[in-house]
Amino acid sequence: MPALYDTFVIVEPMQHYLEYGSLVLHEIIQANKRAGQTILELIGDTANPERIKTAIQTLNPIVFCGVGHGNVDIYTVECTETLITASSSELTLFKDKVVHLNSCLTAQQLGPALIDAGAVAYVGSKQEFWFYIGDAAGTTRAVRSPFLAEYQFTASLLQGKTTGEARQAQLQRYEEEINYWLQGDGKNHPDASELLRILQINEDISTFLGESDIRPSQKLAVAPTLVLPLTFGASFLILGFLAYKSVAVPYPKS
Amino acid sequence: MTRWFNKLPIAEQDLPLLISDGIAYTPRTALNEVLRNSAVGIKLQQLLESGRFGTTTYEETSVAKTRLRQILSGKPERPMFATMSGKVFTPSQLLQEIEANSEIGQQWVKSEMETMKRIVAVR
Repeated sequence: MPALYDTFVIVEPMQHYLEYGSLVLHEIIQANKRAGQTILELIGDTANPERIKTAIQTLNPIVFCGVGHGNVDIYTVECTETLITASSSELTLFKDKVVHLNSCLTAQQLGPALIDAGAVAYVGSKQEFWFYIGDAAGTTRAVRSPFLAEYQFTASLLQGKTTGEARQAQLQRYEEEINYWLQGDGKNHPDASELLRILQINEDISTFLGESDIRPSQKLAVAPTLVLPLTFGASFLILGFLAYKSVAVPYPKS
Repeated sequence: MTRWFNKLPIAEQDLPLLISDGIAYTPRTALNEVLRNSAVGIKLQQLLESGRFGTTTYEETSVAKTRLRQILSGKPERPMFATMSGKVFTPSQLLQEIEANSEIGQQWVKSEMETMKRIVAVR
């Protein structure tokens, strides 16, 4: 069955410094979600391989976006548990999907393997993705900046852009963040020099693979309708509690 | 040159950037030479207007490393940088990677050279 449009599964682990990315991603999802979209955020402990795979199989989302530590051939989630490797037979879970992995090095092997397995597009990093931990997670522009740029891709997909348009918006956001630390209000922040360099590295290693004309969400907001397939409706009801509970998981106070 | 200098972040004003006759000039020292209307000041102004540093590739790498040393050596020793592969660095640990020319160090040197281009291009 083709992946379901307007359906997003978002993975937001919170340990091992991943809260620095996950808090920003959660904020971006909340700011950009629209009526008619089904969005499941798996946060903290719920960002485990079993729950994630169940969500993918049940919801069959057109977009999968995940934060997590990674390497050339592996993407991990909460507690650095492996979700997928480049040689796994489960790569087909991502068939027909747009996959955005905010994870180091996966563009070397895992990203191409996902495309070979049928993913329609992939965005990730071919080397180390850097971020700043000089302040508590989520509290300042400095800790949020690298992720504001990176997650513009998924934000744009939520807004109804195509994968190609979302990619352009992501690169543009990188330039905006770089200019904020180079010539903007952040230029005299004590660690502006490092933030500028981190953003340049992340932009330089950012990699897009696959098709650029996929539009996962409608351009205009569409209210939920009764024409949703029954199987999807049943799946949604089953996962409804899961989705509600996941979104409701409180973040640790920073 | 004065307008360019005033637009730069304060932290960038005293980092080596422009090379003339084998000598590295920071934006501040370059500005002083231009204001004195010296021969080297004219050369530096021409470099800036053409968007170049006046370096060879070797010199560029060397200047980039010097700049990174200057930036990172004065920072407090606490975890400040992390990667999405699970690595965490203090400024001095990151500097060690740069000095060792590791893959991570090379990432930062490459970024520094990009920064130098952006600094010269500020208008």
